[in-house]
Amino acid sequence: MRTVAGIGLRAPHLAEIARDRPATGFLEIHAENYLAGSPALQAVERLRGDYEFSLHAVGLSLGSVEGLDEAHLARVAALAERLEPVLVSDHLSWSVSGGHYFNDLLPLPYTEEALEVVVRNIQRLQDRLKRQVLVENPSCYLGFKHSTLSEPTFLGELVRRSGCGLLLDVNNIAVTAHNLRLDPLAWLADLPAAAIGEYHLAGHAVNDADGEPILIDDHGSRVSEGVWSLFDSVLQRYGPRPTLVEWDTDVPALTILLDEAVRADRALKAWTGTDVRAA
Amino acid sequence: MFALRDLQGAFANHIRGEDQSRLEAAVVGDAIPAAARLRVYRHHVEQSLAAALAATFPTVQAVVGEEFFRAMARRYVVEHLPRQPVLTEYGAGFPEFIAGYEPAASLPYLADVARLDWALNLAFHSPVGVRLTAADLSSLPAEGIAGLSLTLAPGGAVFHSDYPIDRIWQISQPGTAGETIDLDAGGVNLLILRREDDAAFVGISDAEMAFLSAVQQGSTLESAAQAGFQVDGAFNPSTTFGRLLALQAFAALQHGVAKSASKAP
Amino acid sequence: MNTTRIAIATALAAALALPATVQAQGNMEKCYGVAKAGKNDCQTAKSSCAGTSKTDHQNDAWISVPKGTCDKIVGGKLTAG
Repeated sequence: MRTVAGIGLRAPHLAEIARDRPATGFLEIHAENYLAGSPALQAVERLRGDYEFSLHAVGLSLGSVEGLDEAHLARVAALAERLEPVLVSDHLSWSVSGGHYFNDLLPLPYTEEALEVVVRNIQRLQDRLKRQVLVENPSCYLGFKHSTLSEPTFLGELVRRSGCGLLLDVNNIAVTAHNLRLDPLAWLADLPAAAIGEYHLAGHAVNDADGEPILIDDHGSRVSEGVWSLFDSVLQRYGPRPTLVEWDTDVPALTILLDEAVRADRALKAWTGTDVRAA
Repeated sequence: MFALRDLQGAFANHIRGEDQSRLEAAVVGDAIPAAARLRVYRHHVEQSLAAALAATFPTVQAVVGEEFFRAMARRYVVEHLPRQPVLTEYGAGFPEFIAGYEPAASLPYLADVARLDWALNLAFHSPVGVRLTAADLSSLPAEGIAGLSLTLAPGGAVFHSDYPIDRIWQISQPGTAGETIDLDAGGVNLLILRREDDAAFVGISDAEMAFLSAVQQGSTLESAAQAGFQVDGAFNPSTTFGRLLALQAFAALQHGVAKSASKAP
Repeated sequence: MNTTRIAIATALAAALALPATVQAQGNMEKCYGVAKAGKNDCQTAKSSCAGTSKTDHQNDAWISVPKGTCDKIVGGKLTAG
């Protein structure tokens, strides 16, 4: 896959993209939006001749202690077979407990016990899909006192034990670092470079939490200047990768989203040739 | 040691609105206290699921307004969390919930509006499938056609409401000008269809409703036409069948069915 | 076949030959299109109002009054008089 920037494909843009076929690196869809079958899935399939796709799942619940939902997994696998995406990913989080689905990327304690659970679930996912998947760092609003590992160490161990790849969400690094009082550059320092397969960029909001600012990963605005700057640090450290701009709340005109991808492309091109994967 | 199974169970209970002191004690708090951090997650689960319901039940939301809808949807969310992650399949029980939701008791038609929204949602997410056309039947003798048992194409449904929910749907569309609807104007029968690029509904007569209900129960077209006549002596099977074929309301015949049907006496 | 059966069979077969104008579809309401929002998008899109306020969600259903197109809907058994 070329290390250029693409956009998250959202329903309000589907007709325009189908008509105009704008130039963009690739398109990413949320798996759970296309599992029930709909005219939107047919529309996406008609785009496959012109675009590469990545499949981003939001509901596999890789951190659930009760294991993956096999029925859901089978549907995701069938979609992956149908769309033949270049990349498949989900998050380092959980959203299922007691058979109920909580529509959120809920936080895990970073412990050896959780590590074993997530590794087991990723292995099951990769076995079922017969391919490597990428695991994304989530936006965190809290940390657990009994965590014994840092998030990047946890991610590195996932890679080592399961063979998964990583999806680095640069906005999530910024959001988590702010909310949990971490240094984003320190967070970045020691990831397994060869495992990084994709970057995400998005906007965030600043909310008030009992009088204190808390960053909320709302995907509802342009990428912040701080995140662009952090993206430069990521590129300096790890080199270019396929990069995606996401926008989900108050989805703007397509041109604005494409414009963000062009900016990401410029940043990627500035670092082309420093790809550490080749080193 | 807070075992992961216990932590996830406690977190789930927190999202349902129960106080979870052990969970709160396990969360790092500072200028932003642990409780405030936990609330970010609970609020997002409630709000995002209520938003998913609003997307599935847009007419209900237009009828009651955003604020009332959100309150009603949140109550449903807490009592009926999804069992799987595909949110377009979430909300099957919402019409029944609305029927028993006391703050909406002054709007007796609201549950039927929700049933229409849900039927349209199901139709939209059904496969297109292959539809029966007039040409498919052209080689059959008349008695062969009368002996056919057809099925509605995927997503197809009929339902009756005692209220004019088609007109309620119409005035609830964005940008619709004000117009008053009198509930005493009576009820309606609707046929819901999945079409190539959308879902749609169309009004049908009482006799057509009887015809289609009989078809859905597996009757032959002849028996279904009899059911139509029983409701209305002036029922015209030609017009109805022609219209339903034009609407592509029926699934294509299974392979070989047309052949066996042609042998029917 | 008795005469009723023959009449029905003939009428059904006649439908195949109806001109398109007779098959007019009536007031078809187009309801959804491909622009229909992907409901799972809000999974990662944490609404910016997903903040930390302590609103008591248990009560607000009972103080809120329907305010939508229901204002334009009158009559009916329960609301009449």
